[in-house]
Amino acid sequence: MDMIEVKNLIFKYPQQEVYNFNNFNLKVKKGEWLAIIGHNGSGKSTLVRLIDGLLAPESGEITVSGIKLTPETVWDVRSKIGMVFQNPDNQFVGANVEDDVAFGLENAAIPREEMLIRVKQALERVGMWKFADHEPVRLSGGQKQRVALAGVIALKPEIVILDEATSMLDPEGRLAVLEIIHELNRVEHLTVISITHDIDEASKAQRVVVLDDGKVVQDDIPAEIFSHRAGLIKIGLEPPFSEKLKEELIKQGIKVPDEYLTKEGMVDWLWQLFSKQ
Amino acid sequence: MAMAIIFKTVNYTYQPDTPFEQQALDNISVEIPTGSYTALIGHTGSGKSTFLQHLNGLLRPTSGEILIGEQIITTETKNKELGELRKHVGIVFQFPEAQLFEETVIKDIAFAPKNFGKTEAEAEIIARKMARQVGLGEELLTKSPFELSGGQMRRVAIAGILAMEPEVLVLDEPTAGLDPKGRLEMMRMFKRLKEEQNLTVVLVTHQMDDVANYADNVIVLEEGKLIANGTPSEIFSQPDWLVEHHLALPKAGEFALAFEKKTGYKFSTLPLTEVSLARQIASLLHEGGGDVHHG
Repeated sequence: MDMIEVKNLIFKYPQQEVYNFNNFNLKVKKGEWLAIIGHNGSGKSTLVRLIDGLLAPESGEITVSGIKLTPETVWDVRSKIGMVFQNPDNQFVGANVEDDVAFGLENAAIPREEMLIRVKQALERVGMWKFADHEPVRLSGGQKQRVALAGVIALKPEIVILDEATSMLDPEGRLAVLEIIHELNRVEHLTVISITHDIDEASKAQRVVVLDDGKVVQDDIPAEIFSHRAGLIKIGLEPPFSEKLKEELIKQGIKVPDEYLTKEGMVDWLWQLFSKQ
Repeated sequence: MAMAIIFKTVNYTYQPDTPFEQQALDNISVEIPTGSYTALIGHTGSGKSTFLQHLNGLLRPTSGEILIGEQIITTETKNKELGELRKHVGIVFQFPEAQLFEETVIKDIAFAPKNFGKTEAEAEIIARKMARQVGLGEELLTKSPFELSGGQMRRVAIAGILAMEPEVLVLDEPTAGLDPKGRLEMMRMFKRLKEEQNLTVVLVTHQMDDVANYADNVIVLEEGKLIANGTPSEIFSQPDWLVEHHLALPKAGEFALAFEKKTGYKFSTLPLTEVSLARQIASLLHEGGGDVHHG
């Protein structure tokens, strides 16, 4: 079943001449983790804003969880989608962590009793319940994003969209957020769309779509996408570490395998190379 | 003018004598040498931003003193004594494009020099030069900064800081939110600016690869304390210590450790960049493990 279907989408920003999307199509399956990669300005964020009804297309059709997106259904569609944005500091409204997570539920008119339960569950889910009475400003970036994620989980969406949500985090914070997403996806079968420049994040997805100037230029499993070193560089993306190492090894006159290798795969390959001596 | 920055037993406490009292800098003594490329690393809450704000007197130490060039900053220092200092130390804060406000790119860049007493014409000459330095084309100068892409807006903001002609350039996660190509271009630009203009650069970053690739001096803060200061190879030489302090190795270093563990080979020094990793692997291969330990 398709969780999201974008059909013949046409969109440009007002006062601009160039179309961001001109007859764009994309399907996302239920329970899938899709990573969308592409350079700044390739249309990634515009696309998810269209899906969430924050922007309106000139023409075309967007269907989310069986609901066709129209001005009348926009709130139903939004109730299916939880968004986490890049800058953790721009996403807080509550005086403390608990209030902040409760805010979205209050807006959705969830009864107080249920609200309290959901807030606690969501904060426990992201490992932040012990910070319930803390001021958001005092938290680290990773902790803030976990709270933002709790705010999303509490609303029980079917889809979580991460718009570069880990790009400002330190390595530890990034890992913590990705682990939670991983569980939400694999255990609770939430559909995940992550917009990212981070190759490690993209490699955790089941499917990667590469956007360039509002077009899907590649749509494949991560390993396949990452093996095209030159292609990635051409569209402004950074190849994974193992591919960059290959490049340097070639310069040293070492013959390397063509297929994409993970870090572990690369170590294994080198080990064999050394054993053959 | 030599612009070494020296912290001597600097303490800084937020909201002292209240229930919210928080010591953000704890007895810090450290030097940022003139002409160095110093990386400042540590977790959120480690005191990095507080440290940064002391570099041009936005905050003054609660106790201790800071020497910047010929100026001494203590808790007694008055704001009006800091005007001169602020011309010498330019800070590019996170998402600096949020602070653009003028009608055109050129006016935005010229704002600081005008503010610091240059005539309109002088300020514009400086602004044009800085726009070139950061790679903004002539055709963009008369546009509104808000018509530009995120990466271009950030360049405008950085040019605005450079237009003050500072000797020390402080960068707070300057590449956050840029795509990999934009990030690489920006990091190369800082390196070039540093060399061409003889700047001292202080870079706050979470990217250990940037520390390995660009910095020659590293300051590590944790809970307001200085826990290490040295070259990147010194800082990254003890993986166990890094883990203990929740810090990461550059990717090449991590790979090198995994390689050592699997193969039993040992690198003479832990490679921190792809280039040095590939070179060391190649020389191990050519030597057939020659002068290295093989266990």
